[in-house]
Amino acid sequence: MKKVVLSFAAVLALTTAANAQLIDEKDVTVTMDLQPVLQLDMTTSNQIEFVFDEINEYYAGITQYAATILKVSSTVSWDLYAVGRSNGTNGPEFWDQQIDYGNNNPNAIPDLPLSLLELRQSQPNGGAAAASGTFRDYNQAFSPSATPSAGNSLYVNGGALTPPSTDDKYIAGHAGTSGTAGDDFIAGGSYLTQNTNFSDYYYAIDYRILPGLPAIFPMAADADGATFEDIVTVNGAGAYAEPGVYTMYVQYVLLEDQ
Amino acid sequence: MNFWIAVTFILLSGAALGQIHCGNVSIEPNSAEVASLTFDSFTDYQGGVTINSVATIRVRVEDQAIPDPDCRWFLYMEVYNNPGSGTPANEWETLFQYGAGTAPAPDIDILQIRVRNACQTSPLDGVFQTFTNDGDILEIIADLLPLTPAGSCATNVNGPGDYLTNYDEFTFNIDIRVAPGYLFSPGIYELGVKFHLEEQM
Repeated sequence: MKKVVLSFAAVLALTTAANAQLIDEKDVTVTMDLQPVLQLDMTTSNQIEFVFDEINEYYAGITQYAATILKVSSTVSWDLYAVGRSNGTNGPEFWDQQIDYGNNNPNAIPDLPLSLLELRQSQPNGGAAAASGTFRDYNQAFSPSATPSAGNSLYVNGGALTPPSTDDKYIAGHAGTSGTAGDDFIAGGSYLTQNTNFSDYYYAIDYRILPGLPAIFPMAADADGATFEDIVTVNGAGAYAEPGVYTMYVQYVLLEDQ
Repeated sequence: MNFWIAVTFILLSGAALGQIHCGNVSIEPNSAEVASLTFDSFTDYQGGVTINSVATIRVRVEDQAIPDPDCRWFLYMEVYNNPGSGTPANEWETLFQYGAGTAPAPDIDILQIRVRNACQTSPLDGVFQTFTNDGDILEIIADLLPLTPAGSCATNVNGPGDYLTNYDEFTFNIDIRVAPGYLFSPGIYELGVKFHLEEQM
């Protein structure tokens, strides 16, 4: 019996040795660092002036067509919005008055709302299907002076940079993170690869300021367009804008949809 | 007693099936390689990043002291993404994610890999290939092929030899290319490719 066991063990050892198949291996580890790239190019001037020195300019307003060109390249899903801001000299939601032209009439109001500036983008927002507000973007035509509209009024949020809500206006994309393309973001891409006569990555922005006569800026409205903020609505009948030099700025914010 | 004879016969048969034919097979050196790809410009995302000769697989296959005409070998590459950490089968393993976006991790198939040598011994030679899922295999020199001896500079050379005497047949340069596009979440990701050399049984 002992011999049988020994022979079995010997055979088992031989078998194990015979199955020691010759193998060698080498590993290559690939590490990939995908850094987010969000690039907003503005090739046009960053200074735009509106000088109102003719009566017809008060009546009809002044429009600066394609005064700003925005080009987007992004490796991630993104949103783009504009927000009106100032240095806060007259308050966070008002233009900064640099000079007033010697008018001390109590009805002459120096606090001009930032939302009096109107924007019009060259093509509709292609990523705002989930928006719930009256105006999802700035694509509607400028309204005639006789029929005030909040459709192009610049988004302002108390002077803060905070993104607009689902009721407010975006240039591209919108509030929310549904993850569904077209609902609230534009997918990553670039204006460089556009192959049609329009692109979700390229916007020409028109600006209009329409003071009206008297100068009450009838197109000024709050962020969601539900309430007008013109000089008379806010300050009462008889109020008008104080003549002077005013400044403000528009901040274009490109951010990842998250 | 008959039982032990039967067992011995079965085991001997198994041993015969598992017989080795070569003296040794090795990849030299077989130390691990690390390739780091950084995408920080639009050009990188759009055009992709290529690293040529990210690794060089040098093969040595020695015959036995008494040459065995059945000494043949095969070589393949296998992708792995550490599925034990919960990585989906078709994605790169996420090491770190930038931001909180909802985009998915990159698919394995954005990694392109190319094998080449001067004799173009691999049927895959010169063409970028892709994997789809963890564990996918691409055969550089396939298993179960008839013997193609070294020195022939032909496709599927799989006989004994080494990179010192037949460099163009026993050396494989590995190139990788990744073009991620804009679909994936930014972050740091990792994928492994294992090169496996084995004698034919």
